[in-house]
Amino acid sequence: MQLRLSTITCFLLATSSLMAEDYVSVEYMGYDEESGRTTISTPSIEINKDFGADYTANLSVMHDSVSGATPIYHDSSSGASAKIPEGTIYQNDIEYGDVDYEDERTAVALSLTKRFESRDELTIGGNYSKEHDYESKEMSVEYLHYLDSSKNQSISIGTSYQKNDVSVYCSLNTEECDSSSGASEKVKTLDVFSAEIGFTQVIDKTSQLKSSLFYINEDGYLSNPYMRVVRDYNRNPKLTQEEKPDSRKAYGALVQYSKALSDRLTTVSSYRFYSDDWEINSHTLNGELYYEFNDKLTTGVGLRYYTQSEAKFYNASADYFTNQTYASSDRRMSSFDSLNYKLSGDYKISSDISVNASLNYYDQPDYFSAFYYNLGVKYRF
Amino acid sequence: MDKENACCTKRVTMRTLYLSLVITLFGGCSIKDVKPWEKGTLAKETMREGGGDVLFKKFANHIYFSKEGSKGGGGVAGGGCGCN
Repeated sequence: MQLRLSTITCFLLATSSLMAEDYVSVEYMGYDEESGRTTISTPSIEINKDFGADYTANLSVMHDSVSGATPIYHDSSSGASAKIPEGTIYQNDIEYGDVDYEDERTAVALSLTKRFESRDELTIGGNYSKEHDYESKEMSVEYLHYLDSSKNQSISIGTSYQKNDVSVYCSLNTEECDSSSGASEKVKTLDVFSAEIGFTQVIDKTSQLKSSLFYINEDGYLSNPYMRVVRDYNRNPKLTQEEKPDSRKAYGALVQYSKALSDRLTTVSSYRFYSDDWEINSHTLNGELYYEFNDKLTTGVGLRYYTQSEAKFYNASADYFTNQTYASSDRRMSSFDSLNYKLSGDYKISSDISVNASLNYYDQPDYFSAFYYNLGVKYRF
Repeated sequence: MDKENACCTKRVTMRTLYLSLVITLFGGCSIKDVKPWEKGTLAKETMREGGGDVLFKKFANHIYFSKEGSKGGGGVAGGGCGCN
């Protein structure tokens, strides 16, 4: 009887440590590109609360304040403005350089997890974000099923649907704006459907493997309303809005391996493959190493390498596009590599309160680099 | 032609890197039946990518999404943003 009770106690202790905990996390996150080109300031809060052993709710709110400049083609004779000039402009007035912008974004995410008697989990989530020219609503559902009694193997299936409204600048002469109301913006939509199937395998007491396959289907306005291309540079140069295809299908796979190398040293590594019908293929390798100095202080270092191929409609030159249907000089559609270096620390002030901080350096060689960081406090209750 | 060669070299390098990673990580692995009360180490925050800092992981993913041409793999929930 005593053995049975202690077994049950151990089981509950172990499973409760695997389950979520009650906490409030408050963080300030910042992002600064070189030469102050783009600055983002993001205060945020996350609340996680268990309701008994069967329900967990999670709420997070983030607010981004973005200011700075982004490099696009523009008409230098009218100043560095994102406005598209009407008709032909002079070749000498076409310039690729920074155009100022500012934005605010608020994002709210809410999820509720229900655990069944088998300890399988059903999570339903909602995401909402709003910017002055963009609104996004998302619903998601995910089911996690354990394949064995020791819960060493699990499979998860998830799907989400996202509906986005994008406000796009339009010219009364060239776009189908509602001219009767004198509107200068038109709302376009973008629908995103995502599906993911995952498999987790505990390998031994100190290591586990996660893998997933994902599929993303996007339909609607996928261009960036601020990005410009130069068309017909040599005969009749014009600046026009970039034109990306109005659909994108992508799939990929992710493998993640976690291993405690000793009581104090842990490593997490992952590889992601991505491919889409715009002909972008990408590979992401990520490695993190954590060291627990003692019960209070944990530090971490991380390195992420990313590489991608070029989209089929991308070209950076001013004298490339003429009358192609799809045209983009958006650097993110180009072929490039990037590296991200990370340093982090977590210090437990007491059993209830901990503080954490991290500093990251992100670098796309020959284009830009940025520091981003966070400072946070977590209260467990 | 140079572009094709560069692309091919990159592809071979990536495949070699990936294979090396898989062999290094999983070579000699054998799966054991771990009981629930033996999962203390597995439950550590440091066993999760990002060290369990959910908010900062979201922020970092947002940066990658707005600066790179691909996304996905981190779960179906994530929310949208005007940074296509």
